[in-house]
Amino acid sequence: MWAVKRMASTSASSAALTFELVAKCSTTRARASVMTLPHGPVNLPMFMPVATQASLKGLTPEQLEGTGCRLCLNNTYHLGLKPGQEVLDAVGGAHKLQGWNHNILTDSGGFQMVSLLKLATVTEEGVRFLSPHDGTPMLLTPEHSISLQNSIGSDIIMQLDDVLVTTSPDKVRMREAMERSVRWLDRCIAAHKNPDSQNLFCIIQGGLDLDMRRECCKEMVARDTPGIAIGGLSGGEAKDDFCRVVGACNQLLPELKPRYVMGIGYPEDLVVSVALGADMFDCVWPTRTARFGNAITKDGMLNLKREKYAADFGPIEDGCGCPCCRPIDEEGSMGITRAFVHHNAAKETVAAHLLTMHNVWYQLNLMREAREAIIADRFPAFVREFFGRLYPDGQGYPSWAVDALQGVGIDLNS
Amino acid sequence: MTDEAETNPAEAMTFEVLRSALIDGSAARLGRLALAGRKTIDTPNFFALTSRGVVPHITPDNVDKHLDTGGVYMALEDFIERPQQHQKRQPPIYDTPTTKRHPRPLHSFTATPPSVMTILGARRIPAVASPMGNTNTSVSVFTSQGFQVLTTKEYHQAVATLQPDIAIPLADLSHHGPVTPTSKRALRMAERTDEWLGSYLADLPSLSKTATYAPIPPVPFPIQWEYLSRLSEDLLPLKKIAGLALYDPDILPDLLTAHQNLTPLPRLSLSAPPTPHHILRHIALGTDIFTLPFLNTVSDSGLALTFSLTPPPPTSPSSSQILPLATDLSTPQNATSLTPLSKNCTCYACTAHHAAYIHHLLSAREMLAWTLLQMHNHAVLSQFFADIRASLLSNTFTEKAALFARSYEPEFPAGMGERPRARGYQYKSAGGDGKRNRPAWEKFEGDGDKKEVGVEPGTRSEGLETPLVPDEVDGTAAALDHMGFAEIEHGAEQK
Ligand SMILES: [Zn+2]
Ligand SMILES: [Zn+2]
Repeated sequence: MWAVKRMASTSASSAALTFELVAKCSTTRARASVMTLPHGPVNLPMFMPVATQASLKGLTPEQLEGTGCRLCLNNTYHLGLKPGQEVLDAVGGAHKLQGWNHNILTDSGGFQMVSLLKLATVTEEGVRFLSPHDGTPMLLTPEHSISLQNSIGSDIIMQLDDVLVTTSPDKVRMREAMERSVRWLDRCIAAHKNPDSQNLFCIIQGGLDLDMRRECCKEMVARDTPGIAIGGLSGGEAKDDFCRVVGACNQLLPELKPRYVMGIGYPEDLVVSVALGADMFDCVWPTRTARFGNAITKDGMLNLKREKYAADFGPIEDGCGCPCCRPIDEEGSMGITRAFVHHNAAKETVAAHLLTMHNVWYQLNLMREAREAIIADRFPAFVREFFGRLYPDGQGYPSWAVDALQGVGIDLNS
Repeated sequence: MTDEAETNPAEAMTFEVLRSALIDGSAARLGRLALAGRKTIDTPNFFALTSRGVVPHITPDNVDKHLDTGGVYMALEDFIERPQQHQKRQPPIYDTPTTKRHPRPLHSFTATPPSVMTILGARRIPAVASPMGNTNTSVSVFTSQGFQVLTTKEYHQAVATLQPDIAIPLADLSHHGPVTPTSKRALRMAERTDEWLGSYLADLPSLSKTATYAPIPPVPFPIQWEYLSRLSEDLLPLKKIAGLALYDPDILPDLLTAHQNLTPLPRLSLSAPPTPHHILRHIALGTDIFTLPFLNTVSDSGLALTFSLTPPPPTSPSSSQILPLATDLSTPQNATSLTPLSKNCTCYACTAHHAAYIHHLLSAREMLAWTLLQMHNHAVLSQFFADIRASLLSNTFTEKAALFARSYEPEFPAGMGERPRARGYQYKSAGGDGKRNRPAWEKFEGDGDKKEVGVEPGTRSEGLETPLVPDEVDGTAAALDHMGFAEIEHGAEQK
């Protein structure tokens, strides 16, 4: 009886998504799961690289697949402008456009407009902005966003939300944005044409006000979307505040749904967020920083443009399993050295492609290792080892990480 | 001549002539270049040109997987720059350790797949003209840090250290255009090249891992007859040279008439034939292997090659339409085209992707556009050479070449697609890369300030950075509305 009950309680399905909880860390709130989407299963926790304009910066979809990626992002905003909805419809969606047979997640398109760019004005109908070409006033609504994402055909689509930077001091505006986001979710659900093949995720808003976040969680969860995102954490807020919001939301979210923290990608942020119970992350940083010659490694960031790497014939990262770094006699290894990347950094696009491959691999592998640790119930040891490598003298751990991890039972300084 | 094979004597690298001089007036021939551990190269064929040790836009894994190319040409000038803050440092490439998989330093430094041969020359093809000129013991080369002197000694040392599969000794070249055939300069080019080959062989008496392809400067036969006699009468019998590197294949008829014993050597052309028409002519002159700068240029222009040795049958019997050599994928009719880049192409770009994707990537200035175009364009060339070899085998080369000449336009179309960043210093700024002013986004309820948002300066035109706000929107608000991105607010007033 108990086994049956346990089985029943470790997986949940909606029309186009199955979430199966595989293991829970016995100390922290970290969880390992499998999320099955229309284009196949993905293991959580996971990092999703961002292929903004239906291309991951010079990597072929085949090379992206080779990093182990099975779910990547496209930006609705960019695809809406190029190639545009008509082309997407004619081609048959973004999977066909880019020759990617795995999963795609798209954002709503509102984020760039509102939060980053401050070029738009938000009203109840939608986001108002001026056409860049001729200054004509234009309106982007939840219905437009969903219609575009339906044309894109992404496996996970995001609601249009009213995003404010979390550091905004305007409580009244923050509440308005939170409540409007709930109303816009209803409009998105109503406008969504393909609930059987595309999963609409809601986005929790509410800034840094935990009560407002909790209220938003309650409203959003009641709408029973297949997955849930925590939004509005743009990086401007203090890391302690970020952790508090992620921790508070995760505690209120249903166990058998994927939890997506939007727009984060620093390795420390990923590891701490996993400890706080989050499952999915995305960020342009790993691929962006690659183009400036930076390699992400277990020992921190290396800028391979620096002269000290000119004659460094070691791999980008010792022990890395990516096609650039894996030992030269192993199948599929290229034998790329730091010296070779240095030689071509900022001179040939190939150097950027190689570092992109390495960095994406690093991020995916970090989450793979976290997942294995959760399943083996040695996640706290994994976290300590991870921070130990980044801060080798055992001191200088960031206090936000120490505090957040302490809150879930890991003492970094022990 | 007959079908009987002529082989070079026992050397690490072998070149076999499988069929030669089949038809009067054509010196075209079939051959096979082989080196243990590397892909065998059937000739006529071509070597890919690299920039700083990479085939532009293609990572080494994809060179291995998705290019047929059996050889890559590398220029030493791409590796020996002296950065201003580190004037004294030895170029790092000379310290490259070798591995079991990459037993040669040049292969190892550039992560060139072991199946691919490397060919080392001093200068890129085509080379940037130097204002300084050469001296009796040095050539002027162009690095990422500017012009630099490369002594003959350093070059010879580089060949010994880097162990390319094939090395081309220094030639005294003038990169400022053709030299008057009978001028003093032409004579000196021949004399210096002769001298430098002598000092190369003296400096490298026991070169065992590298095949030497003697450079033949682009001056008329009578001007360099002495040098060519030395190759034929002294150096060939001593097995000091394993091939010829020709800067102008038009010398071949005279050369082969005068020195028949040079016939078994493979002939590598370092001239830059601008079109496939020129390739066919050079094959008829007897060229075995090409380097083709137009390939990288065509890909960077957004063009996909569409030619094949046997043109497709005309759509109607009376049609005498001249076919284009390439198609511009940036043109709007490709926006929704799910066809391969050229009919029947089986390259990675054409099997995994389609014209609409490349069109999108070009329009979005995504680097992958150029990667996929490179794969396709190299594949079309590989197929072109494979078809040429088949025609030589079936004795149809001459008529196929004539049909090709009648069927295709003489030149490539001009590609309108945006180029990637002119990869820096190799391209002297000719004002062709001018930045267009694009419409900038303006703040709604704003102060009219136009601004660029979310882009690192200088990275956008290079395809390295995607602006958070796409910076170019095709057309008007009506177009945006049409694209489904948003709708025009009729009646709304801009404040
Ligand atoms: Zn790596
Ligand atoms: Zn192709």
